[in-house]
Amino acid sequence: MHLLNVFVEIFYYKNHIPASIIMALKSPLHDLHKELGARFTEFAGFEMPIQYTSIKDEHLTVRKSVGIFDVSHMSNIWITGEEAEELISLTTVEDASKIADGKSQYTAILREDGTVIDDTIFMHLGEKYMMIPNAGMAETATKWLNDKAIEHNICATVENVSRDYVIIAVQGPKSRDTLQKLTKTDLKTVDFFGCRYIKIAGVDCIISHTGYTGELGFELQITPTSVAEKAFRKILEAGEEFKIKPIGLGARDTLRLEKCFILAGNEFENGRTPLEATMSWVINWDHNFIGKEALLKQKEKGDYERLTCLKCIEKGIPRHGCEIQKDGKKVGKVTSGTLSPCLNIGIAMGYVKPEFRGKDTILEIIVRDKPVKAKIVKPPFVPKDWAQQN
Amino acid sequence: MSDDVRDDLKYTESHEWLKVEGNKAKVGITDHAQSELTDIVFVEFPEVGKTVKKGEELCVVESVKSVSEIYAPVSGKIVDINKKLEDEPETINSSPYDDGWLVEIEIENRSEIDDLLNADSYKKMI
Repeated sequence: MHLLNVFVEIFYYKNHIPASIIMALKSPLHDLHKELGARFTEFAGFEMPIQYTSIKDEHLTVRKSVGIFDVSHMSNIWITGEEAEELISLTTVEDASKIADGKSQYTAILREDGTVIDDTIFMHLGEKYMMIPNAGMAETATKWLNDKAIEHNICATVENVSRDYVIIAVQGPKSRDTLQKLTKTDLKTVDFFGCRYIKIAGVDCIISHTGYTGELGFELQITPTSVAEKAFRKILEAGEEFKIKPIGLGARDTLRLEKCFILAGNEFENGRTPLEATMSWVINWDHNFIGKEALLKQKEKGDYERLTCLKCIEKGIPRHGCEIQKDGKKVGKVTSGTLSPCLNIGIAMGYVKPEFRGKDTILEIIVRDKPVKAKIVKPPFVPKDWAQQN
Repeated sequence: MSDDVRDDLKYTESHEWLKVEGNKAKVGITDHAQSELTDIVFVEFPEVGKTVKKGEELCVVESVKSVSEIYAPVSGKIVDINKKLEDEPETINSSPYDDGWLVEIEIENRSEIDDLLNADSYKKMI
């Protein structure tokens, strides 16, 4: 076996540039991760922890108790100015006027042809909005929004502040109990997708009740980056009684995939619309936005491939790029696949032609030339109460 | 990280081990390799009776998020596979040199064994 090849399959990213070509950026918490025993991987130009103990162990820790992630590779941009709200409404599928102060929203930025540039969350924080594009997308998103502001004569400024922030995610059923020890704010008052300024362990940050694991969880935006290590250590201390663990990108990926959450680089590869990516629930049709016309046309035609969840019913682990077949004929392609640490069976998401997407349909995923039978299931693969039942 | 290297085995630069028993040999992956992979969750075996050339793909070992090909340290016919690993692939992690062996090969050309690394050379390499 080639140990150098280990983990190269983990993430496919359209903006992926091999570390050998450019120096990968490091999180401000890099030395702390080393101290905690992390192994690193290069992802979208960042050298980030892939795992500390093992992916399975870290995965189950988050499902059953609580884990802490450094996700500083994600981007931060401020959108300010009188018409910040108008700019967000124009450039995303959300009508920002519907998102109250202190609320955040998951949405997507589209090209004119309806394909997704990036999926993102924006937070409404008083006069300002903070947007969290994906890793490696800060410059693209900033430029796109600024260009559109100029083009449409909108009075708003977009500033890439990604390097000024450390982002810490605390996720799992014990995440609230862990963080509550470190703040006077009653965290029960931060509702789902709520966001606000707060002090945690004496460190100022923006907290949001959001995450990428499908568990109860919070994300903290911390600036200046020099104070983030203190917060990270304090959270580890506070979570000791719940056996908190630091979690790497490996488990982050398996956690999101069990909940059928999209990973931009995988699921939007080669240009996909939110309709194809089964994100129509986030589209607010009652406002004008870039890409809307194209989406309406696609919706009317209706014959597009859609992202589909496939659960294997025999052994074999589907991976990115595996072909999906029905009776030996290609009907789609896997965009993300893994062994589910909770279910201990292969799971995958992939785009499948509409006529083959009926519930309970059995398709074959071709893994190294061998068909592995998989059943179409409704998302998520792992239900909300999995930890209570296991 | 564990890096146990056994004196009675032969090794490849690609982290397989070979244990010669008469004209047959068992093949597995080293302790170093399993500890790098962590959590082995699936093994794909070749068919018993198949002939492999030295350096060819022998089986595939997968962890949650990685796929690794295992290469034949010597040429020969596959005479047995470790069926236990089909249901308990994690045995490779807990016992890489004993219960976690992968396949047994009938050695075709004994001189190929001499080309493999001894324990000291492998230790130096990792």
